[in-house]
Amino acid sequence: MSAQANPVASDRVAIVMTLVPYIIEHGPTKVEDAARLFGVTPAVMREMVENLNVIGLPGGMDNELFSIDWDAFDEQDEIVLVNVVAFERAPRLTSREAAALLAGLQYAQAVPVVAEQGVVSGLIAKLSRGAGAPPGELVLAPDPVDDVRATVSDALTRGRAVSFTYRPVDGEAMTRTVDPIRILASDAQWYLRGWCHLRRAVRTFHLERVSDLVVTDIPAGTHDDHETALFSGSRGEVAVRIRYANDLAPLLGQYLDQAEIESGPDESVATLHVADPRALKRLATRRGGGVEVIEPADARIAAAEWAKAGLARYGR
Amino acid sequence: MGVVPAKITPQERLLSLIVALMASGRGLTKEQVLSSVSGYREAREEGRSQEALERMFERDKEDLRTLGVPIHTVGDAADPDDLREARYRIPKTEYVLPEDLTFTPAEIAVLNLAGAVWSEESLSADAQSALRKIRALGLDVDEPIIGFAPRISLRDPAFPALRRANEEGRVVRFTYVKPGDEKARLRRVSPLALFEYEGRWHVYGIDLDLGEERTFLLSRIAGKVDVTRETFDPALREGAGARALAQLAEVARRFEAVIEVQPDTEASLRLRRRGTVEGDVVRLHYVDGHILADELASYGPEVRVLSPDELRDEVIARLERVLALHCPDGTPQGTPMVRGGDAS
Repeated sequence: MSAQANPVASDRVAIVMTLVPYIIEHGPTKVEDAARLFGVTPAVMREMVENLNVIGLPGGMDNELFSIDWDAFDEQDEIVLVNVVAFERAPRLTSREAAALLAGLQYAQAVPVVAEQGVVSGLIAKLSRGAGAPPGELVLAPDPVDDVRATVSDALTRGRAVSFTYRPVDGEAMTRTVDPIRILASDAQWYLRGWCHLRRAVRTFHLERVSDLVVTDIPAGTHDDHETALFSGSRGEVAVRIRYANDLAPLLGQYLDQAEIESGPDESVATLHVADPRALKRLATRRGGGVEVIEPADARIAAAEWAKAGLARYGR
Repeated sequence: MGVVPAKITPQERLLSLIVALMASGRGLTKEQVLSSVSGYREAREEGRSQEALERMFERDKEDLRTLGVPIHTVGDAADPDDLREARYRIPKTEYVLPEDLTFTPAEIAVLNLAGAVWSEESLSADAQSALRKIRALGLDVDEPIIGFAPRISLRDPAFPALRRANEEGRVVRFTYVKPGDEKARLRRVSPLALFEYEGRWHVYGIDLDLGEERTFLLSRIAGKVDVTRETFDPALREGAGARALAQLAEVARRFEAVIEVQPDTEASLRLRRRGTVEGDVVRLHYVDGHILADELASYGPEVRVLSPDELRDEVIARLERVLALHCPDGTPQGTPMVRGGDAS
C-alpha cells in the first residue's frame, strides 16, 4: 500500500482515534514509524500530530487540550503525549473492518498451521464482540486442509526437503526434490515455492499437480527468495496475441497481469509471453469462442486442432 | 510553543465534536454544540447562518457514524419527536473496544495473517485498520507465521459496489447476463450476502421483481452496479451467507455429470480427485453446468461427457465455436501437434 499524501478529513479523524491509544500503549514513537503504520506520508503524520494540540474540551483551559512534548517532536521527530483528554482506549471495529477480518480468518483456516492452532472460532466470537455494528455478510466456503497441504506444511516447519511426482500441463511427470520456502495460495489454488534440486533454482509448484508426496530426511537449505507474487518470475519466451471481449477480462485474470494490452471499445488485444504458445489451446476452448488466438500460427492451429479433436470424441 | 493554525480544519472540528460529546455525561444540545465546540464556534463568529451550521452538524454526525462512532440522540421524554431540546452524546462504553476484550499472542499472529490476504483495495484497507485498532490495545504478538502467503485476488469489478450496498443495507441494480438467455436483464436486488465458492464470488439476495431469494455470479454482471437510495433491513443479512452455501450444496447434490476421462492427462489429474472414479469414468457433482462446460471444453479430446445431455451439448457448442473462430473452413493447416516439454 502506498502512503497517502493527502487523506480526507474523516480518514485523518480515524487515524487520530487509533494513533492516540497506540502511543499510550507503545510509548514514544518515531513519526516515521507511525506514518508507516498508518499508511500516510511522514509530512501528513507530522501535521496531524501538530494539530492534535488544538483539540480539547469546549472552551478548554490548557489541561483540557491534548498536548505533546514539543522538544521531542522538533528535535527527535518523536511523538510523546503529555496530556490526553480522550481516546485513551482503541475504538470498536466498524462493521466493514470486522467483516474484512472475519472473512480473512475464514480463508486463513485453510492454512495448516492456523488450523492446528484452533483459535479461529474463539477469534470470530471476539471480533463480533469488538464490532460496533453487526458486520456485513462476507462468507468464504470452507476449504478443509488436505493431505498435500498438511504434509508440505509439516516439511516446512521441520526444515526438511520434500519429494514428489510433478506433472506440468502438457508435460511428462517427473520426480522432484524440493526445499520448501513458502506456501502460496491464490483464491482456491495452492502452490509451493521452493528450491528444486533438479533445476538448481527456485520454482513454483501447483499443489494439484503434486502426487506421491513424502517428507525426506534431507535438511532443507536456506534460499534467498523475496518473490511473493505468484507468476512474476515466470515470463516466457514466446509472444502470443489474443483477442477477447472486454467483459471477459476479469476471467482471464493472471494471463493479463503482465500482458501488453491494446483496448478497444468492446474487444481488446493482449500480447502475452508464454513458455509454450500451444498451451493457449486450453484457454481458447475454456472460453468457448470468447478468446481468439491470433498469432503465432502454430498456436492458432493448435487451438483449432484441440477443438476438432474434442469434437471427434462425439463423432463430429 | 508550536504552530497554532489560523483556521480550524474539518478534522479538528470533527475531533473536537467527539471529545465534547464523549466528555459530557448528559449530552449537549445542538445549540451548545454550535456555540461552544471548536470549529462551529468560530464559524458562527465569522457570521455563518444558523441553517448552514445545522447542516454542517448533520453532515458531521453522519461522517462520524460512518467511522463507527456511536452518537445517541436523547429526545424530550414528553415528545420524542421534538428534537429542539434533544441532547447528543457518545457513550464511552459503546465507543471503545470492550474493556475485557483481549487477544493472546498466538491469536494476534493469526489475525495478522488473516488481515494480509486481501488484494482488493477496500478490503485490504479495512482489514489493516482493524488490525491497527487491535495493536493499539498494546498486546504482545507471537513471532509472525512465516512461510505462508495466502491471497484473495477478487478481480470482479462489481465487488466494491456490492460490498458497500451489503454493508449499508441498500438495494442495487445491475444487468445480469444469464448464459443461454438471449438478452441480459436488469435486476433489482437486496444484496444479503457476498460469498466465495470454489474460487468464484457470488451475491445472494432478494430479487425484488421476483420476490424470491436468488444467487448471482459476479462475473456475469455486465457493466456498473448501481447502489440505489432504497434500503433493506440489515437484520435480513444474518445467516444469509450460510443459507446461500447450503442451497448450493443442495444444488450440487442434484446435479451429477458422468465423464469419460483419458488416463494420464491434464483432465485426469484435475477431475479424478474431485469425483468418484470407476475405471476411466469419473462421476462429479456440480452447481453450474456452464462453468463445468467451460472447464470440460478446455480438456479438448481428454474427456467425453456421457451425461447429462445438456452438459454434453454445451461442451460441443463451445468446441464448435472455437473451431469456427480459428479455422473457418474446418481443417486446421499446419504441423501435427507434438507434446510440449517440461514447462515448469
